[in-house]
Amino acid sequence: MSVRSFHSVYMAGAVAAAALGCYLVSLRVASERAALEGVETRIVQTQSDIRMLQTEIGTRGRLDQLEQWNASALSLSAPAANQFVEDSFQLAKLAAPDHRLEVKAPVVMASAPAPAPQPVLGNDQSDQAGASPPEASPQQLIHEASLKIEPRDVQETAPFVPAAAKAKAKPEPLAPKATPPKSRPEPASAIKATSKKQAPKLSIASAHSEGKSIKLAEADPLAPLPYGKARSAHSQQPRDSDRRK
Amino acid sequence: MNAPTAALVAPRLERLRLVGQRRQILSMMHQRLMLGMLLYAGIVAIIALRLVYLAAFGVHSGEQGGVPALVPDRGDIIDRDGEPLARTINAWSIAIHPDKVIGDKLALAGRLAQVMPEHSEADYFAMLKSGKSFIYLQRRASPDLVQAVNAIGEPGIEIQREPVRLYPQTTLAAHVVGFSNIDGHGAYGIERAFDKQLSDPATRGAPIQLSISMKIQQALEHELSDAMTHFSALGAAGVVMDVHTGEVLAMTSLPAMNPNAPGQVTPDQMFNRATQGVYELGSTFKPFTLAMAMDSGTVSGPGQMFNCPKVLPAYGHLVHDTHPFGRMCSVAEIMMESSNIGMAQIADQLGTARQQAWLKKMGFLSPVEIELKERGRPLTPRSWGPFETMTVGFGQGIAVAPLQLAMGYATLFDGGVYHPPTILKIGPNHPLSPGRRVFTADTSYRMRSLLRLVVMRGTGRKADAPGYRVGGKTGTAQKVINGRYSQTVNITSFAGVFPMDDPRYVIVVMLDAPHATPETYGFTTAGWNVAPVVSRTVSRIAPMLGVQPDLNREPDMNEVLPYVQGAQQDTKKD
Repeated sequence: MSVRSFHSVYMAGAVAAAALGCYLVSLRVASERAALEGVETRIVQTQSDIRMLQTEIGTRGRLDQLEQWNASALSLSAPAANQFVEDSFQLAKLAAPDHRLEVKAPVVMASAPAPAPQPVLGNDQSDQAGASPPEASPQQLIHEASLKIEPRDVQETAPFVPAAAKAKAKPEPLAPKATPPKSRPEPASAIKATSKKQAPKLSIASAHSEGKSIKLAEADPLAPLPYGKARSAHSQQPRDSDRRK
Repeated sequence: MNAPTAALVAPRLERLRLVGQRRQILSMMHQRLMLGMLLYAGIVAIIALRLVYLAAFGVHSGEQGGVPALVPDRGDIIDRDGEPLARTINAWSIAIHPDKVIGDKLALAGRLAQVMPEHSEADYFAMLKSGKSFIYLQRRASPDLVQAVNAIGEPGIEIQREPVRLYPQTTLAAHVVGFSNIDGHGAYGIERAFDKQLSDPATRGAPIQLSISMKIQQALEHELSDAMTHFSALGAAGVVMDVHTGEVLAMTSLPAMNPNAPGQVTPDQMFNRATQGVYELGSTFKPFTLAMAMDSGTVSGPGQMFNCPKVLPAYGHLVHDTHPFGRMCSVAEIMMESSNIGMAQIADQLGTARQQAWLKKMGFLSPVEIELKERGRPLTPRSWGPFETMTVGFGQGIAVAPLQLAMGYATLFDGGVYHPPTILKIGPNHPLSPGRRVFTADTSYRMRSLLRLVVMRGTGRKADAPGYRVGGKTGTAQKVINGRYSQTVNITSFAGVFPMDDPRYVIVVMLDAPHATPETYGFTTAGWNVAPVVSRTVSRIAPMLGVQPDLNREPDMNEVLPYVQGAQQDTKKD
């Protein structure tokens, strides 16, 4: 009985709840729409700001102004007709290096081996005599090649080392006279063999220089200490052999 | 149930009457109550419905009232590359309501005079005392000024934002773009010609794209203005036009005007010398006469010979030359040395009727066809007799606008097809008009080498821009002052076409009354003052226009060189 009498109340409550639900949905939609419109408004405002700034930049950097700056400071001018290249070939021609000096060197090289076959054809002594200097010349070339490597080592080590190298290089021409079949003794002993008064001094100087170079390597703050020692010891060996050559 | 009771109490009539009255009153009260309730219920229902409606579809606090897309108050004008030439922006304006001023007016006037020194303190005080309700103090005020005025703190001062028309490039192409008046309506140039399109809300969203190219315009304006200053000329005009489409790539008139301050523009500045001004452009007309004669068959080609005495008596007048031949000369030589005597004979053979028909066909007898409203009407001889035919043949007695001259050259070198000049970019919105044939393609082709000859060896040598194969014709006309030809004051012009082996662009420059300088050895003829302008301008604009410079290309000069005396030996020497 009581349930029946409250039926209408329940109905009214259900309708009210449904209406409230609908209202909430529409409210939600309306608020979303408002937010969207807010974003759209901001987009338009930003576009307007961009337009404003573009106009300002355009006005400040107007062509007349640029022309004045060009006249007063930059002095740029239109390219002349000869500054244009027609095709990639012309462009490549502009970038191609000038080979003249390098071309001459191979010509000398080519002439050096050329007389070698001549004695085979002629069998003249004069030809052989002429052929001997070309035989020496490749050695010279090898020397030059080895000399070229040297500065690379010098750059790596301390500036004292070249002085030592020079000091050693000076006795070298003397050394072959004394001992033409040159083995690989230690530098100090080789100079001792010449038994000259200056030689020990030089050897000491060289030893000093070597010691100095090691010191410098140790002093290098950037390299870890044990590695620095090993590296300097390693690098000295080939350097000495280079000098002996 | 009531009826028997009534019958029982019937004898008591008074009571019955009373009962009847009460009932009547009661029912009436019920009716009124019901009515009132319905009324209230109706009102509540209306309010409730309205609320529901508003909640669902109504205006709410966050709504901006339909956000429109960014449509400016007046349409933009842009150049062919899309760079803005005219824009509407919101600028600050400072106004005052003198009747709403609260503070001390004298002190306020002092402060205003400090901040805006355009007017004196007394002027500002007079404004404040005038009793008017609204006075503009400054329009297009700078933000700094707005800040300073705002700091005064007077509630009678109104600071507002209002749309103003800004021309970012200031004087550049001012005569083309024009300006709008204070009400925001176009008063000159494109602003005037397309006012409806620019102000209509339906169409103003899309900008108007001009055929003008800002960079080319700047180059032309700069070179021309330099020359105008250098030669102390009164004015100058210049046009660069696309031969194949009739698009005007640059058009300038000097002295320049600043459309941002239209109130300060003088009538002389406002005069568009390129379209409004009509000038006797002299020898630049000769190629037309020759083309007419070649098309009509009266001249066979550049090799035809004419007798060129030092002075030619004709119809009771004497025709003179600046470089007289005094011998037989070929048509090529007549063009090269710009001989009036030779051209007068060619025009005479052509005849008046044919000349008029040709000029009409070329559009020289009516105002120039262009979208701008500032157009001049050509001046033609009142009585067009045989002697006038001769003078028109070498460009005297007929006055046209420089734009028309450019149009004529474009017609002549576009294979003889006329396209009306246009200031709008040719594109999907503005298709190329089909045009009409004026000259034959053969005549157009033969004119190439003739005009190249003028620049290579003739009067226009200083117009040559190395590599760009400029061809063209100088023109020096005596200026008409008070109805008489002046012997000293000239109007010099040059009409050039480049590259001549495949014509693409026409350039016309004109100087009004240039003076001689030491470099020109006292000459004021076109070859000395406007031709170098063409050379400099072409070497600046041609790379931008995509014309590839080539020092080894030339039009077929074998068409004309055999007919030029001395040319053979020169080529051998070279």
